[in-house]
Amino acid sequence: MSQAATELIRISGHAGVVPGAGLNREFRVAKLVDTTTCIGCKACEVACLEWNGYPFSETTFDNTYQTMPETAWNYWNLIKFNEHEREDGSMMLLMRKDQCMHCEDPGCLAACPADGAIVQYANGIVDFQEANCIGCGYCMTGCPFNIPKFSPKARKVFKCTLCNDRVSEGLEPACIKACPTGCLHFGTKAEMKELAETRAQQLREQSGFADAGVYDPPGVGGTHVIYVLHDAKNPELYGGLPKDPHVPMSVRLWKGPLKWLGNLAIVGGIVGMAFHYMRFGPKKEEEIKPDEDGRRR
Amino acid sequence: MTNGWIDIKNTDMMLIMGGNPAENHPCGFKWAMEAKRNRNAKLISVDPRFTRTSATADLFLQIRAGTDIAFLGGVIRYALENNRIAKEYLVNYTNAAFIVKEGFKLPEDGLYSGFDSAAGKYDPSTWNYEGSGGSGPAGATGHAPEPVPGKVGGATPPPALPANVAYDLTLQHPRCVFQLLKQQYSRYTPEAVERITGIPKDQYLKAVDLFTSVRKDGDMKKVATIIYAVGWTQHTFGTQIIRTAAMIQLLLGNVGRAGGGVNALRGHSNIQGATDMAGLYDSLPGYLKAPVPADSDLATYLKRTTPGSSKPSPWASMNYYSNTPKFAVSLLKSLYGDAATKQNGFAFDYLPKVDRDYSWTHIWDDMYNDKVKGMMAFGMNGVMIGPDTNKNINALKKADWLVVGEIYPDETSEFWKAPGITTDEQKNIKTTVYRLPCAGFAEKDGSMTNSARWVTWKYAAVPPPGQARLDQDILAQIFLRVRDLYKKEGGKFPDPILNLNWAYADAAHPSLSQVAMELNGKALADLTDPATGQVIRAGQQLPGFGWLKDDGTTMCGNWIYSGCWTEAGAQIQRRGTEDPSDLGVYPNWAWSWPANRRVLYNRASCNPDGKPWDPERKQVWWNEAAGKWVGNDVPDFKPDSHPKDHMGPFIMNPEGIGRLFAPIGVLADGPFPEHYEPIESPIKNPLHTDQSNNPLVKKFKTPYDKFGSPEEYGIVCTTYRLTEQYHYWTKNNPMNVQLIPEPFVEIPVELAEEKGIRGTDPIKVISARGTYIAKAFVTRRLKPMMIDGKKVYQIGLPIHQGFRGIAEDEGRDARTPANLLTPAVADPNAHTPETKGFLVKIEKA
Amino acid sequence: MTTDAVSRSSAAHNEEMVPRYTLAERVNHWIGALAYIYLLITGLAFWSPYLYWLAAVVGGGPVARAWHPWVGLIFTASLFWSFKQWHGDMKIDDADRAWAKAIPNYIQNEDDKLPPVGRFNYGQKLFFWAMFYSVILLLLSGITLWYTEALPWSLRFVRYAAILIHASVALFTIGLFLIHVYMSAILEEGSFGSMVHGYVTRAWAWTFHRSWYEQVSGGSRRVQ
Repeated sequence: MSQAATELIRISGHAGVVPGAGLNREFRVAKLVDTTTCIGCKACEVACLEWNGYPFSETTFDNTYQTMPETAWNYWNLIKFNEHEREDGSMMLLMRKDQCMHCEDPGCLAACPADGAIVQYANGIVDFQEANCIGCGYCMTGCPFNIPKFSPKARKVFKCTLCNDRVSEGLEPACIKACPTGCLHFGTKAEMKELAETRAQQLREQSGFADAGVYDPPGVGGTHVIYVLHDAKNPELYGGLPKDPHVPMSVRLWKGPLKWLGNLAIVGGIVGMAFHYMRFGPKKEEEIKPDEDGRRR
Repeated sequence: MTNGWIDIKNTDMMLIMGGNPAENHPCGFKWAMEAKRNRNAKLISVDPRFTRTSATADLFLQIRAGTDIAFLGGVIRYALENNRIAKEYLVNYTNAAFIVKEGFKLPEDGLYSGFDSAAGKYDPSTWNYEGSGGSGPAGATGHAPEPVPGKVGGATPPPALPANVAYDLTLQHPRCVFQLLKQQYSRYTPEAVERITGIPKDQYLKAVDLFTSVRKDGDMKKVATIIYAVGWTQHTFGTQIIRTAAMIQLLLGNVGRAGGGVNALRGHSNIQGATDMAGLYDSLPGYLKAPVPADSDLATYLKRTTPGSSKPSPWASMNYYSNTPKFAVSLLKSLYGDAATKQNGFAFDYLPKVDRDYSWTHIWDDMYNDKVKGMMAFGMNGVMIGPDTNKNINALKKADWLVVGEIYPDETSEFWKAPGITTDEQKNIKTTVYRLPCAGFAEKDGSMTNSARWVTWKYAAVPPPGQARLDQDILAQIFLRVRDLYKKEGGKFPDPILNLNWAYADAAHPSLSQVAMELNGKALADLTDPATGQVIRAGQQLPGFGWLKDDGTTMCGNWIYSGCWTEAGAQIQRRGTEDPSDLGVYPNWAWSWPANRRVLYNRASCNPDGKPWDPERKQVWWNEAAGKWVGNDVPDFKPDSHPKDHMGPFIMNPEGIGRLFAPIGVLADGPFPEHYEPIESPIKNPLHTDQSNNPLVKKFKTPYDKFGSPEEYGIVCTTYRLTEQYHYWTKNNPMNVQLIPEPFVEIPVELAEEKGIRGTDPIKVISARGTYIAKAFVTRRLKPMMIDGKKVYQIGLPIHQGFRGIAEDEGRDARTPANLLTPAVADPNAHTPETKGFLVKIEKA
Repeated sequence: MTTDAVSRSSAAHNEEMVPRYTLAERVNHWIGALAYIYLLITGLAFWSPYLYWLAAVVGGGPVARAWHPWVGLIFTASLFWSFKQWHGDMKIDDADRAWAKAIPNYIQNEDDKLPPVGRFNYGQKLFFWAMFYSVILLLLSGITLWYTEALPWSLRFVRYAAILIHASVALFTIGLFLIHVYMSAILEEGSFGSMVHGYVTRAWAWTFHRSWYEQVSGGSRRVQ
C-alpha cells in the first residue's frame, strides 16, 4: 500500500505519458465515513489541523454546531451539520465529514493547467503539489464537491491529501486515527466497499432506513472517500453532497473538443495564411494614376 | 458503573437518559456504536434536547427536564403489566419476595409513612422488612437507636434490619415488595407519563415496548443497559432517579451481566477516583461511613456502621460489610501509623466527626453567612460549577482568603472581576486571593480511576511550565508548615496533625506511587492465610483486601484499592491487551477495583444453579468439579459458595439481594422512588398537587435564594456541556475556541418565531436569580411540549463560557456564566444541586 | 485638388509620405500589441500542457498566473483607448457593405477592383469591433477566473461559463490576431511601418485607402 502511495498514475497539466503509471494497481485505498455512527465530535477536524500544522482561526457562531460554513484552504476537514425532519416527524441530525473525495476521475486534475500541480497516485490519492501550483483556481471549477480552496496569502490552492505523507509510511490518515467511534475506517477500496455495503444492508434491515446506501458516485469514476448514508437517495440533505457529481460539462468541453477545435483552428489558420501568401503574394502599393487622383474633386 | 465502558459492546439494548455520551464521552461511546454495528443493539435516547447522542439513536424521545422518575416508573409499570420481567432472577436475587412491615404507607399523597413535617424528614422505621421466626434484630447492629432530631447526614443510626426476613416466593403476599412495587407504579400509566413528561403516549409505549423487549416471553438471553450521567444526578431527586433505573434493571434481570447494569458516566477522567477517596463529606475512603458525634468510640462507630445479615432463613448472605471493622482499623493504621494502637481505639478520636451537612451548597451558604472564612479551591472552578453564581461570588466577597490551585487563571480566582462589579466595588472586596499555578494532567504521574473503576497509571508527558507545581507538593508543604506551627505553638488538639502518618521518602514531595502503595496497604506483622498457608511478611504489600485485619496488623489507605500495588508490582501499570473471552474484560489491563473485577455482581449473570443466563456471554460460572466459581472475570462472590447454599449475588447488601425496596432509610426520601417536580416547575405535580416537590428539599434563606413562579418564568431550561469544550479549561485553548467560539442558547423554532428572534440574535435568559446573555441558536431539535394540557417550551444552554477565557478576554461574548440562572437546592441523599431543570423567561438583548 | 498635385505624378510624388497614425495611436497600439503577446504566451501556456513551457519563458507558472490578469487589464485599457481614438473611423457604413461584396477581390490581391475605402477598410473595422467585444467578454470571464474563490458555490455555473467563454473567446482573438499580424506585417507592405513611424506613402494610401487618401491629400474634408 505504501508503494502505491508514491507511484503516480496521473499528473495535471502534463505533456506526454506519466512516468511509471500502470505498473501496479493492486492497492487502491479508501476512507469510509459511516455517517450513521458519526457523533460530530470534530476530533477529525482537530487531528487534521494538528497533523497538517495549520493555525487556529477565529470563527463566529452561526446558528449551528458546524465550525465554519465550508472547508477552507487551511481547514480541510469539516463536519457538516444538518437538521432534517423526516416524514413521520422524527428529527435527524445529519453529520457528515466533508473533505476531498479523492475521485477516481478527478475534476480538479482535469482542469489543472500546471504541470505536476495535481497528481494521482496509484493508490487513488489525489494530491496537490503546492510547489507546482500556479494558483489559477481552475481546480476549484473542476471539482464537483467544492473542495479545493485558494489561499490569498500563499496564492495557491490547498486541499486534503488523504494524509499521503502518513499513508506512504503505512499509517492511516490523521482523521481516522482520531475518530473515537469507529465511524471512520481506512483500508483498500475493496475492503471499504464491502464494509460499507454490509453496514448499509444492516441499516436497511435492522434500523428501518430503507434507503440506506453507499455513496461512491460513478459520475466521477467512484471516489476514494466513500460514505454510508441513512438516505442514499437524498445525499443533498447531508450538507449539499451532490446526488450525481460529474466533472462539469464545461470543463469537459474545454479540455476536450474545444482544445482540439482550437488547436486545429490555430494550425489551420497559419497554414491557410501561408498558402494565401504563396498563392497571392504580398499586396503591393500601386502607382497613383494621375487621372484618378482626386477624381471626386 | 456496575459494568465498564468496553462492556457496553456486549449489550442488546441501550437506554441513554440524563446523559449525552456521544458528546461528553465520545471515546467511550465507541462501544455503544460497536454494539449497534456488531450486535444490532438498539439505542433509545431520552433527553430534553435532541443531542448528538440522539442523532445515533434508533428512537429519541424529548422529555421535560426533571421528569425522569415518571418516565422510568412507567417503564416499571409496563414491564410488570406485560410480564416483561425476569421472574427467576426477581425471586432469587432481589427482595421482591420480602414482606414489608405493617404500617408502611406508599406515597399516594406524596408522602411515605413516617414523615415529620416539623423536622422536614422521615422516620424510616416502618420502611423495614417483617421479621420471621421470632428472631430479634440482626447481628452487630443490636438495636435501633431512636432518631436524634435535628441531625442530618450520617448522624442518625438507621433502624436495623431483622436477621430473618419474612418472605413469600409466590410474590402474592399483599405486603411483599413485589406487590407494593406494583401498587406504587400502578399510578404511572402512559397517560400520566404523558401529562408529566410531555412525551406522547404512542411514542412512549413504542420506546417502553422496545426497551422491555429484551425480556419478551421471559427469555433471559438478551441484556439491556441503562447509561446516565449528571442529567440524572443534578435534581432534587437525583439519587432516586438512579434508583429507579437500578430497579428496572433488577426487574429485568440485567444487573451483573455482560452488556447490562446501571452505568454512570463520569465527567472527569478521575472523578470516580475522587469519590472513592471520600469525595463526599459524609464518607471515609472506600465509602466507609464518616463518624458522627454520637460515635463516642471506635466500638460504637463500628457497631453503628457494621451491618448484620438480614435474609430469609434458608438463604445465605455473605454480607461483605460485616468486614467493616477490618477496613476501618486498617484505614486508621494507615492514617496514624504507630500512634494508632489497640489501646487508644486506633486513634479513632483523631477522626473529625461530621455534625451536620457540609455538602456543596452548604459550604457556600455558610461562607455567605460568615461561617466559612476561607477556601482552598483545587481542581474545580467553584464560581462557575456551583448553582447560583451570584450567591457564590457574594459569598467569596465575604471570605477572608481564597487559595486557588489551577492550570489557568479561572473565574473563581477572578471572582472580583465578574461582570457587574464596578471598580469601586472591587476596592471594597477584602478577600485575599492566592493563585497557585498547578501542573496539568499531562504534567504529572499518577493514577486515574475511570467510570469503569479501572485504576490506570499514567506518566508525565511534559514537565509543568514555569512555576507550576504538583498538587501533592503544594498540599504536602502546606501540611508540613501547619504541622511545624502545631509543634512550635501547640493548639487545642494537635494530636491528629502531629501524629499523622507521613512516611513518604520525600516529605515535601510525596511520590504518588508511594501514595498508591499506601492505599493498597501492607502487613505490619507476619500474616498467614489459614486456608492456604500463604505467608505475608511484615512490611510486604498486601495481595488484596481479603488480608485486612481489625487487630492493627495491617494498614490500608482505602480497602477497595487493596490489590492495586502488590508485591507482584503495580497492577495499575499493567498493559496486557489479551482478552480471552472476547467480552472486553481485558483482565491484565491496569486494575479494576474491587479485586480486579470488571463487572460487579457478576454472580447474577448465572441462574440460581450457577449456569450463565446466556451461554454466548459467559462471565463466571460454578465449576462443580473444582467446587468453586470460575470464569473470565473475577467472580464477585464467595468463591466456594455452592449454588445450593442460595447465597445472594449482591454481597454488599446485608440481605445479599438487590433492593427493589430500599429499607430503613438508606435513601432519606423513600424506599421507592416517587415523581416529584423540580423546585421550579411549570406545573403542580399531577400525582399529588399538594406535595409537588420532594418533601426533604431545603431552601436556603439568603437574599439570593429566590425562586420563580411558572406565571412569570414559563420556560423550562436545562444546562449541558458540549463535545467541543471541556468544562472551563478549553476555552483557554484556541483550538477549542475555534470549534465553538461563543456561548449560545438553544431555543425551539416556534418560540423564536413567537418572540421574533432569529438565529444568532443576542438574547437574555432570565431566571429569578440572574440573567444570562448569549446568541440564540434557533433549532428544530427542541420542540414545544404539552405538559398537563399546557404548552411549554424547553430551552438549553451550554455551561462552558464565563468571564475568563480567550473569547471572554477579547470581549467576544457577554461574559455571563450559565449558573447565574440555577437555584441552590440539592438532592437530600447525594447533595447534588438542581442545575438541570429550572424556570426562565427569554427576551431579545 | 490643386492643379499642382494633379500635374505631379512622378515617383517622388508617389513616395511622398502622408501621416496615417498619430503618436498616441501608435503608442497605444504597441501597448496593446505587447500586452496581447504576453497574454497569448501565458494563455497558451495554460491552454495546453504541450505549451506549458511557454510559462517558463516569462518567468514560470505562478508568475504567469499572477501577471496574466493584470496584463489583461492593460490590454483592456488599451482597447478602450483605441475605442476612444477610433470609434468614429470604425463606423461601418454603406461603402463598407459594398466593399464586403467585393471581398474575393481583396483576398486575391485585386485591390484595384475594390471600391475605394476610407481610413479603415471593412476588414479592419470588423477586426476592431471583434477585438473590442471579445475583450469585454474576456474581461468579464477573466475577472471570474481571477477571483474564483470569491464566487459563491451556489453561483458555480458562472465559473463553468467563464472558463468556456474565456477559452473560446481567446481562441477567437488568436484567429483575429493571426490574420491581423499576417495582413499588416506580411501581406500588406507598408502597413507595419506606418504603425511604427506613423506615415504611409501617397501610393500606399492611394492603393489601399483611396477615399481617406483623397481627404488627407485634399485636406478639406474628412470621410464621415
